[in-house]
Amino acid sequence: MKRSIVLMVIGAILAAACGGAGGLGGGTAVSVGLVTDVGGLDDKSFNTLANKGLEDAKKDLGVSGKVIESKEQANYVPNLTQFAQQTTGLTIAVGFLMTNSTWKVAKQFPNAKFAIVDGAPANDQEKTENLPNVANLFFSEQEAGYLVGVIAGEMLKGKVGKAGSGNTACAMGGIPIPPVDKFIAGYQDALEKYGAKVLVGYSQSFTDQQKGKEIGLQHISQGCTVLFQVAGGSGLGYIQAAKEKNVYAIGVDADQAYVAPETVLTSALKRVDRAVYQTIKAVKENTFKSGDNFFNAANDGVGFGVLHKDVPAGAKSATETALADIKSGKIKPRTEVKK
Amino acid sequence: MTDVTSGPEVAPPARSVRQLGYQWTAGPAMPLLSLAVALLIGAVFIAASGRDPLRAYVALVSGAVGGATVQLAAYNTSETIVGAVPLVFTAISVAVAFRTGLFNIGAEGQLLVGALSAGAVGAAFGGLPGPVLMPLTLGAAALAGAAYGAIPGALKAWRGAHEVITTIMLNYVAIFLMHWLLQNGPMTAPSAAGTPASAKIGDGAILPVLLPSDLVPLSRLHAGTLIAIAALVGFWALMWRTSLGYELRSVGFSPRAAAQAGIDPKLRTVLVMAIAGGVAGIGGAVQIQGVLYRVFDGFSPGYGFDAIAVALLGKSSPVGIALAALLFGAFGHGGALMQSEAQVSAHIVSVIEALVLFLVAAELVARIVAGRRKARA
Amino acid sequence: MEIGLILGAGQLAATLRLAAPLTFAALGGVISERSGVVNIALEGIMLMGAFFAVWGTAVTGNAWAGLLIGIAAGVVLTAVHAYAAIHLRSDQIVSGMALNILALGLTSFLNFQLYGFTGTPADLAGLPDVDLGPVRGIPYVGGVIDDQSVLVWLAVALVVGVHLVLFRTVAGMRLRAVGEHPRAADTLGIDVFKMRYAAVLASGVLAAIGGAYLSLEVSHSFTNNITSGRGFIGLAAMIFGNWTPVGAFIAALLFGFGDALTFSLQGTGVPVQLLGTLPYLLTILAVGGLLARTRPPAADGVPYETEGR
Repeated sequence: MKRSIVLMVIGAILAAACGGAGGLGGGTAVSVGLVTDVGGLDDKSFNTLANKGLEDAKKDLGVSGKVIESKEQANYVPNLTQFAQQTTGLTIAVGFLMTNSTWKVAKQFPNAKFAIVDGAPANDQEKTENLPNVANLFFSEQEAGYLVGVIAGEMLKGKVGKAGSGNTACAMGGIPIPPVDKFIAGYQDALEKYGAKVLVGYSQSFTDQQKGKEIGLQHISQGCTVLFQVAGGSGLGYIQAAKEKNVYAIGVDADQAYVAPETVLTSALKRVDRAVYQTIKAVKENTFKSGDNFFNAANDGVGFGVLHKDVPAGAKSATETALADIKSGKIKPRTEVKK
Repeated sequence: MTDVTSGPEVAPPARSVRQLGYQWTAGPAMPLLSLAVALLIGAVFIAASGRDPLRAYVALVSGAVGGATVQLAAYNTSETIVGAVPLVFTAISVAVAFRTGLFNIGAEGQLLVGALSAGAVGAAFGGLPGPVLMPLTLGAAALAGAAYGAIPGALKAWRGAHEVITTIMLNYVAIFLMHWLLQNGPMTAPSAAGTPASAKIGDGAILPVLLPSDLVPLSRLHAGTLIAIAALVGFWALMWRTSLGYELRSVGFSPRAAAQAGIDPKLRTVLVMAIAGGVAGIGGAVQIQGVLYRVFDGFSPGYGFDAIAVALLGKSSPVGIALAALLFGAFGHGGALMQSEAQVSAHIVSVIEALVLFLVAAELVARIVAGRRKARA
Repeated sequence: MEIGLILGAGQLAATLRLAAPLTFAALGGVISERSGVVNIALEGIMLMGAFFAVWGTAVTGNAWAGLLIGIAAGVVLTAVHAYAAIHLRSDQIVSGMALNILALGLTSFLNFQLYGFTGTPADLAGLPDVDLGPVRGIPYVGGVIDDQSVLVWLAVALVVGVHLVLFRTVAGMRLRAVGEHPRAADTLGIDVFKMRYAAVLASGVLAAIGGAYLSLEVSHSFTNNITSGRGFIGLAAMIFGNWTPVGAFIAALLFGFGDALTFSLQGTGVPVQLLGTLPYLLTILAVGGLLARTRPPAADGVPYETEGR
């Protein structure tokens, strides 16, 4: 009984707050709240992409949006709550760290909608518990990793351009967590089929560029000619090393060709922005789908970015073939990194 | 708080004590004035980024303690308090040392060590019932923190090693230790989070939420708040009601004169640093047991460093620390609303906090007002 | 395979590259503390130098101009610290720490305001590397010192330079006097305030160059918190080197070597995080006199009063 009173009060708050937040009644004005994890908006990775999706939605769909950058993990619940209390549309939680926080808040506000990037709500017993008002946005990073691995393998096999005559590729992650490792695992999987050697390192940081660069130089001195960065800001140093030593690099998450146009072969795309955009659109059009939402090669949720001009036609078609095979389910790239 | 503020300066006192002296004479107005000036400068930054400072500050206040309804206000206030709790512990840690003429920059490391211990014990013995597990985890944290504080204390006492340096170094050691333990290390537990973290602590170690969720839903105001209050009382009692406390404060004012009486100065240094470390360690445990329930890699946004500001702002006194910690908690929680409502960058909040700290440290306001700028000889 | 990797020319070349920013910071620390002022704000000054060097280069199109702008920005922050520490006689530790936080917030804020999500411009002009030509042929040594940035050479030159100035010139002697016995120095007619200001500002210049190295030379860009604590490691190197330029440089090399080691030891099962604690543990041992006797300047960190109180 008390709970329904509470909900009514909250409903009243929502109604009152919406006077300022974009108008209720009549139109389906959707306002969206984005809560980033502690990496900050400019992490050059998930948070940035999620925000891009929000910005695109603001432009195309006319929704209004707000962002809160979380300063510490302890802030997730209050930040999510704040949006749930005011927002009529959607609250987006970026990051696997928010699974329990989102569960708590979503249960408390069953009339508010949530989306988690890279996770599903986890209850207090740490078990995944899907809720009717939460969309879990999952990405098959390993498929993107596989595709860029094919490109790398083709360049090595054909000894094209800067790939030289070696047969070694390499990858550097930030820290060994699933969103990072899945990329690397797919990459390894593809390259193994080409018989190439794959070196793997971690910079232990998503921000330290000098560390990324030094690991890059190390890998290059061990013969690597295609460097795949999966380390956010630190990975930019990895790309820098490839630039300086005149070999190839591969970007991650967003298309990073602009970072070093002569060096970046392609990027392993994780279209968080598209996923966020589509989820916002679904809320606006009332087609919101709770539970697991998969973004993979089949629905263009992951992919590979603009190809370097050195990439020959044969390599391109090999990649297209691989893409088709993944879409059809013929190839299922690995998700565990081989140490 | 009615202490003797000046004494015959036979020998140059520890510089931190000197600053305490200035702060006492400047009165409680000084921290408030510094806050005001910092907010003013912050407003300039906000305006420069194209946003409305007034709207920003209104959002800051309303986000911290306000709200359209009583229940919302209660929720926000409880969140502000939750944010203040870890700062209370670490600020006491800094203040206890400060009062004795020591500089504990190591509260961050001591807090981490305490948190890791509580997390480890709480998970390893998770099956034990509350009355057994709770003292076990808090005790482990206190011991770990105390040991971590005693190390720089001993190095100072016996080798003259400056505690500022050793504590800063130990902070980094603790951070790397945490990374090692939690990133595919001995304490890592697979969790639904998919992020480096330890296993969840047993139910017996969880500090219960104080406000019933019917009344204030999602409130996280936990029993650790009571422990924090107890720590403040304990701090007060120790420093102002025991002979040890009297001795420590005298040492703070005049190390040489006080060296004759009381316990051996070397032991005293170690003891104070151990106490400081233990309190910070408990702070880490409380944050894990009250809010996070497991140790996340990098969970602390710098409680130990903010603590220096809180201790200074609060003039190393129990009431002052409580107020200053609440202020920082308000910045933290209200800052989120400031971001979403007034679209102010999160970085501005840290700039304002830094300005407050700097102005208090520089005593810019006090000195300019009191005309204490000494002309060059 | 391992040994060759650990002591190979590539490893030592990396050591130099990693030690360079630490050296600049450490030298700055030495000069400042020798005059009696603790400069904990080195980290923040490095950040200012790093950001504004990139901004300056983007704006002027010239890396040297950018470097100068970075230095100017660092000096501004340093001047604030100097004023607070020397004139207002504030607590130098706290003032320094506040400025570190301020610099981090400020540079992050400006980075986002000016460059948004895509970050600093991609094709920034860079500083030249020193191509030693024939030296490259020398086995081992050639591999180590060839193709290093001009700033690396500057760092080495400064180590020698600061050592000479500090220990072989009258000015250096006065500086040290001010740091050891300021009252006595004052009586001898040395302007304590002026010397300290000069020393602190000089330390700011050096720290700013160290920061500019990280952004301009290493990554050709600026990302938030690009220094990641190097200012503090620089201080550790200063202490470990017993407040001497040459000692600080050796310490910086040691720390750089340790870092380079963590990269080569990846995948061998040695926990890199634990290796990361080495510079700090070594410093603690040094400060504790457990390795050798170290002693800071006598008046280090004590604000100077012109009259007695």
